[in-house]
Amino acid sequence: MRQFLQQLVNGTVLGATYGLIALGYTMVYGIIQLINFAHGEVFMVGAFGGLTVYRYWLPDSLASNVWVALPAVLIGAIAVAVGVAVVMERLAYRPLRNAPRLAPLITAIGVSIFLQEAVRLFYPGGKRQQAFPQMISSGTFDVGGVTVPWVSVFVVVVAVALMVGLQVFVKTTKTGKAMRATSQDPESAKLIGIDVDRVIVVTFVLGAALAAVAGVMQGMRFAQIDFRIGFLAGLKAFTAAVLGGIGNIKGAVLGGFLLGIVEALATQYVPHGSSWKDVWAFVVLIGVLVVRPGGLLGERVATRA
Amino acid sequence: MNTRKPPALAVAGTAALVAGSLSPWATFAGYPGKMSLGGFPGGARLFCLLLATGAVLFVLDLGGRRRAALAVGIGAAAVVAVNFAGLMDHGGGIGSVAWGAWLSLAGAGLLTAAAWRLPAGTPAPKEWPVLPVAVEVAAVAAAVLALLGAVVWGLRINESSRFVSFLVFVAFVSVAVHHLGVFEALGVLFARRQRIALVLGGAAAVAFPFTQQGNAYWIRVFASIGVFAVAAIGLNVVVGLAGLLDLGYVAFFGVGAYVGALLSNAALTTVHFHVPFLFVVLLGGCVAAVFGLVIGTPTLRLRGDYLAIVTLGFGEIFRITANNWDGLTRGPNGISGIPDLAAAGFDFGESHALFGVTLPGFANYYFVELVLIAGAILVFTRLNDSRIGRAWVAIREDEVAAAASGIDTIRLKLMAFAIGAFLAGCAGTVNAHVTTQVSPDSYTFLESILLVAAVVLGGMGTVPGALLGSTMLFVLPEKLRSFQDKRLLLFGAALILVMRFRPEGLVPSKRRRRELRERAPEGVPGLPGASGAPPGSPVAG
Amino acid sequence: MPGSTRRRWRGSVIVLLPLLLAAGCGGDEEEGTGGAQATKVVKIGVIAPLSGDLTATGTGIRNSVELAIRQANEKNKVPGWRIELAAEDDAAKPDVGAAAAAKLSSDAAVVGVVGTYNSSVALQTAPVLERANIVQISPANTNDTLTRGQNFKTSPTRPYKNYFRTATLDSLQGGFAADYAYNDLKVKNVAIIHDKKAYGQGLADSFKGQFEKLGGKIIATETINPGDKDFSAVLSKIKPLNPDMLFYGGEYPEASLISNQAKGPQAMKAPLMGGDGIVDATYGKTAGAAANGDYGTSVGAPPEKLDSAKQFLADYKAAGFKDSYSAYGALAYDAANAIINTLPTALGSATAVDDAVRRKVLDAVGKVNFGGASGTVAFDQYGDTVTKALTMYKVEAGVFNPIKTGEFKG
Repeated sequence: MRQFLQQLVNGTVLGATYGLIALGYTMVYGIIQLINFAHGEVFMVGAFGGLTVYRYWLPDSLASNVWVALPAVLIGAIAVAVGVAVVMERLAYRPLRNAPRLAPLITAIGVSIFLQEAVRLFYPGGKRQQAFPQMISSGTFDVGGVTVPWVSVFVVVVAVALMVGLQVFVKTTKTGKAMRATSQDPESAKLIGIDVDRVIVVTFVLGAALAAVAGVMQGMRFAQIDFRIGFLAGLKAFTAAVLGGIGNIKGAVLGGFLLGIVEALATQYVPHGSSWKDVWAFVVLIGVLVVRPGGLLGERVATRA
Repeated sequence: MNTRKPPALAVAGTAALVAGSLSPWATFAGYPGKMSLGGFPGGARLFCLLLATGAVLFVLDLGGRRRAALAVGIGAAAVVAVNFAGLMDHGGGIGSVAWGAWLSLAGAGLLTAAAWRLPAGTPAPKEWPVLPVAVEVAAVAAAVLALLGAVVWGLRINESSRFVSFLVFVAFVSVAVHHLGVFEALGVLFARRQRIALVLGGAAAVAFPFTQQGNAYWIRVFASIGVFAVAAIGLNVVVGLAGLLDLGYVAFFGVGAYVGALLSNAALTTVHFHVPFLFVVLLGGCVAAVFGLVIGTPTLRLRGDYLAIVTLGFGEIFRITANNWDGLTRGPNGISGIPDLAAAGFDFGESHALFGVTLPGFANYYFVELVLIAGAILVFTRLNDSRIGRAWVAIREDEVAAAASGIDTIRLKLMAFAIGAFLAGCAGTVNAHVTTQVSPDSYTFLESILLVAAVVLGGMGTVPGALLGSTMLFVLPEKLRSFQDKRLLLFGAALILVMRFRPEGLVPSKRRRRELRERAPEGVPGLPGASGAPPGSPVAG
Repeated sequence: MPGSTRRRWRGSVIVLLPLLLAAGCGGDEEEGTGGAQATKVVKIGVIAPLSGDLTATGTGIRNSVELAIRQANEKNKVPGWRIELAAEDDAAKPDVGAAAAAKLSSDAAVVGVVGTYNSSVALQTAPVLERANIVQISPANTNDTLTRGQNFKTSPTRPYKNYFRTATLDSLQGGFAADYAYNDLKVKNVAIIHDKKAYGQGLADSFKGQFEKLGGKIIATETINPGDKDFSAVLSKIKPLNPDMLFYGGEYPEASLISNQAKGPQAMKAPLMGGDGIVDATYGKTAGAAANGDYGTSVGAPPEKLDSAKQFLADYKAAGFKDSYSAYGALAYDAANAIINTLPTALGSATAVDDAVRRKVLDAVGKVNFGGASGTVAFDQYGDTVTKALTMYKVEAGVFNPIKTGEFKG
């Protein structure tokens, strides 16, 4: 039982990161039906943005003060990720809005490769893993024999707060309503006076900001980042988004947590589990989709081709 | 066709470009093309000189000549610019650029300005008269020959600066020729003389290894392209025709490769059972097709991107299983040392002399693949032109409507999956022998993505598209090798740029183009074999 | 329209003129390259990961070979010839490596290749190069099967006659590590994690064999996927078994994450031990404080301590390379020199590199014997280095410090 709870904790923390990145996938998909494969790279670039602030801009005296360092790193990460996402949308995706459906997908792959390589080649020391500041305590505490690191508590709390915040934003604000309208029918949205271009940019910005926070949290958890962290994280987050029902915000969160927990439990309870865990993650995904073709919470299947 | 006196601007520009191209571009020795010497157009200067011949557009009043002339001018400027960057990188700063390069740049600028001032004129003609058979066949042959020539020429270029110059040159010549309506005309021509075009195209493909003078490197690369092309045609059935996005397609290729490896004489095989290779190829295809059905059956209810992620999941499951089922696949180390094929005393690994040219072992596999490609093309075109092909298009465009009009969507989707998988499986068995090893590393998600990229880059739903796409995806990274660690960066940028300017792919299917452009060019049947028609070909003049 | 036809003819003359110029003017003058330099070129190839995760290590290998070549050219070691470097990227992937090997073997001037980093890649490159009689010397491959075949334990046979290495074998390294763990550290219960790759699994197996022979106990064996970042689940699984030590078969990117997560989030006390794949400066930096107290074995004696290597280190620094020489720099430098040393005789009076020259180089490399940066450079009948020194390193204040150098006697 203790092992079970321990793995549940491990899975929840892992799932929180998946969920945060999955939100970006699901929002962009909901609005323009694009699988933005470069979103994982936005997450990676965000982490590097945070690292840059910490390493080059924060004076040493402030770097040790978590109340200064953490917000500064987060702002740096968000700024870089949002900047990259906006440029990407403007230069790579917007010209292709009326192109065949697969063209933006290939562009996204191109952007993904390009961003990875740009960081690898041009970030100082980018070819190797970079140490990332842990900022808050690397210690742990015990609850009934289950070891919980403080940083994990932080990660889960921040992730859940952001997810709730996003949900509130989309449900209540005017921009949020415009986003929902656009996702349901861009043509009609345009007719009732919604600036669709702006809505799309806002979607990219929100997704990028969340991914940047996820990037910083991953850096803090693992004490290191490298130019390749985006690929696998992006793949898993995309899986999580589909699992929950792509286009559905709550679904992305649920999918993220579910995926993380399945991986952790599979590692514990299946022989050679740590090698096979991804298989179980995908088996769960396929099983869910066979029973519910729209994902766990996805009620609406896009009928547009 | 009227002719006019060329404007002074154009004359001056041409003169400057020609003179610049015959003058030194570098102030230091050692840059490719002996650029520090004048009097001959060495290295990339040759491309500028060839572009200068485009000045003829100022004399001949051809339809669409303004845009073509602009492409020539900008192209020449771009070639110079590439070498400016190269010279400054190679030498050191702006001081390493000699006056010839400046003169050429000025000439290119003047030409562009002259082109800008040309009247818009008439667009390129849409209708071309039917010419005598002999002339048309000669034109087709010349086009095929020019394509082969361009490929061989490009592959011979080893220096990175010169190769990039070559790419720029080819790209802008293609644009110019395109604006003159030559590709359109070639498309009509190739369609009208389809048989002869296919025969000539096949002959050019067979001729390729003979152009390499016994050098194995590019033949090996083309042997890799061959298997990839068969798989790309198979994927084109699934994605291009039936519209089912498959992100785990490489798994079928992997299934075939493992079948090929396990049934070979490899010392490491875990299955000791040998059958003739022809049978192995078919078996690999069939096993892959069964996998296709297994994956297809539960996923048929899913649409669009849900299907994409499920296929992605199956692809990963295949890879991880191959990585961990040590008893069958030997895990991450895979099965290596797969022997060369041998049939009736003919060892495929040995080099053989034919018509006085030594063909390395890889050429044998290349020929085997040509047969496979021919088979795949046959399957593809037959399907495309059949009831099944039309039903797939209907499903792709609107599944609900297709089902409502009596199409058995489930059966047809399964069929697309199985046929696509079969072709990939066949290709995989050959690939096991070409690479002499199979390991799970070769069947990652990225490989699936590259296959999709090949199909989309080339143009969905067309055979030349799949061939051109897979060729580009293999040749570009190999050619960009000289950039060492920047090659992936450039590859990513290339993907973005091609999609930006040719979102429908380099050789779009006429059906799709009609959808996109919303104009139906009458009497322009498909473009088989017209992949990226030859730059500067005699037909173009 | 006779007029227009004539004018068109005039037009084509204008067009043809530049073409005629292009064809007519020869380009056969030579550029002045300054002085009477050697014009005959011989090339030494490098196949190493120059892109991807392992770029840093691969770049160190390439630079070290470049250094050897530069020095040889400066000292005019091979009179009448200029040695050039032909470096190819393998991206740590077997198929990319095979293409690189094909490219190098089709380059007539290549006589030998230094590389690869990954054993899995070498399994692909060695047969391709063997066909062209090009010698391959790896500074980093440690997998036993490369020189001794599949049944290396019972009946070793050499699979590739062109393949040599300056690195030692996994079986020796794993055994050396096991000896140290059992005898010096007095460790009894060990949990093994490996990445299932040729290198990681081979190393883990040889550690396990020797450790159990000595009387130690392997309490768990887990495998992971290279590229993963979160290992908390697998560590949580091991933790209740209370291992005295973790042994990791694999490379530093995953090892540093495992070390960090074991001691941080999982609050485990056991140190981590690994092979030469983890002995890299990055490990200490990225695993943070958690790395302190971890162990790693590496091939050869530590270059910083070796008199013979001091000159190499100084020269490398003076050459002004951007990246560090990395773990295999000295071994790559020696591998390059092993090829270079055979060239004066092998090239002899040849006018260009041909098959005969390549065969001569191949034969001569098997017989070299000289003092290199990493110690004596000579090869046994399998192509393995005779210098079998291994060193145990311990991480102190984030840096791998050598604590014991020796050989594994089995």
